[in-house]
Amino acid sequence: MNVIEIKNLTKNYGKSRGIEDISFNVEDREVFGFIGPNGAGKSTTIRTLLGLIYPASGAATIFGKSCIDNPEIRKDIGYLPSEVFYYDKMRVIDLLKYSASFYNKDCTKRINELAEIMDLNLKKRIDDLSFGNKKKVGIVQGLLHEPKLIILDEPTSGLDPLMQQRFFELLVQENNKGATIFFSSHILSEVQKMCHRVAFIKEGKIIKLEKMSTLKESAYKKVKVEAKNHIEKDYFKMSGVNNLEVNGNIANFIFNGNINSVMKKITDLELYNVWVDDPDLEEIFLHYYAKED
Amino acid sequence: MNIFLHELRANRKTTGIWIGSISAVIILYMSVFPIVTKDPATFEKMLRSNPAFNSFIASISNIGSILGFYSFVFSFILLLGAIQAMNLGASILSKEIRDKTADFLLTKPVSRVKIMTSKLLASLVLLLATNIACYAVALIMAFAVKTNDFDEKIFFLITATLFLVQLIFCALGVIISVIIQKLRSVLPISLGSVFAFFFISMFISTDKDDLIRFISPFKYFDTGYIINHSSYEIQYLIAEAVFIILAVAASYIIYSKKDIHAV
Repeated sequence: MNVIEIKNLTKNYGKSRGIEDISFNVEDREVFGFIGPNGAGKSTTIRTLLGLIYPASGAATIFGKSCIDNPEIRKDIGYLPSEVFYYDKMRVIDLLKYSASFYNKDCTKRINELAEIMDLNLKKRIDDLSFGNKKKVGIVQGLLHEPKLIILDEPTSGLDPLMQQRFFELLVQENNKGATIFFSSHILSEVQKMCHRVAFIKEGKIIKLEKMSTLKESAYKKVKVEAKNHIEKDYFKMSGVNNLEVNGNIANFIFNGNINSVMKKITDLELYNVWVDDPDLEEIFLHYYAKED
Repeated sequence: MNIFLHELRANRKTTGIWIGSISAVIILYMSVFPIVTKDPATFEKMLRSNPAFNSFIASISNIGSILGFYSFVFSFILLLGAIQAMNLGASILSKEIRDKTADFLLTKPVSRVKIMTSKLLASLVLLLATNIACYAVALIMAFAVKTNDFDEKIFFLITATLFLVQLIFCALGVIISVIIQKLRSVLPISLGSVFAFFFISMFISTDKDDLIRFISPFKYFDTGYIINHSSYEIQYLIAEAVFIILAVAASYIIYSKKDIHAV
């Protein structure tokens, strides 16, 4: 069963921004990552899904219904926007109670639990909170009604590493309880830890949709080698090596495959230094583009 | 219901301040009345010599009576009330977008129609509260300074035009706020519109039953007519109803179709 279905969704803002012909599904109980650089159309997709903006063409449904025609389906959705803004003059607890009042159930217990986990002071006024603390209010606000679908737009920005970890633990718990999670990020490593599938979006188009298990098998490594002597241009030409650049005694490339084969190749050289890193998203994108060409 | 109560709570301070300032103006002006009654002819002559003031009292025959004097004072109360109502109407929907809280409210399981209805009802209640408070203050002041008895029905009819004029400006504020994609600041729009209509009204004479009177809501309810006939002119009530219904209906349609953009 699909919780989210997006079919040929298109939304234009003038010429540059927007999304074009986006289609994908998110299955029940799945953790789905939506990855792309800033301005790629992640938020636009999410906002269309939630009924905040209207698509130019195509359709986005949740539990088989559109948020625009059936606003009541939002009672099963928890949404955390990328930048959180709340009524400044309210106290945290009053805002959370106001939020809870939309769901026709007593959420007091859950509010207190979540506030404790996220270490959030409920007595403070919203405008006295730092960015990170506002984000925590957003997290509690998005989860207090125990939604079946959790939609998160860049959820970890502003959170310190400890809170990020607690937040991810919280999400794993919710997922184990049966919640479907859809979240966007521009950091692949953030998503890697918990996603089942990821979709990559760039310039308003989905360029790749892959199972996390497949992505992990083809673990991409960014390799830089500095040898004592000049490296032959073709020395690293082998299967799994992409974006190869050789410059004198320095070689850069992205490797994808059995790591042993390339390590043997490297150890055959007389080395000054070697760096093996996880590539950032941009480099994986470049790799995808190279493949398509 | 929760949105309605939230709006009442969020706006109670502002409404309180408006009630306070309108009441202060009423008290201040009305306490001048005993001095006016000593020499009403000179006071009237002074007002008539000023074209701006003259337009307010043109149709009033007896400025020295409490109703005549109240009508004059009331022009300024109307001006304040119109600003309050238009501010409220223009901000009640747009502030969610301006303060970026729309992402919170519009992702809750409520339709935009329901959100708007709750907010309009809250505005109505806030304006009603203002009117009741101001009517009470004005009535107390009138009894305190009166030299002769006056018709309380006419006094009520004059005061109730505050509410009627506020409804027009509130509806105007709402429609402007939904048409403009992102209203950055409410005050310039509401002050600008209200003063524009107010100045226009200064040049419109209510002596004639002219079409031009339909332009400014400040001229819909002529106090001279109310004092003489103890009623309103029906064609202006109809004009008001038509405008409000059209503006509110259009606002519902536009607001329901509006894209709420990210920051």
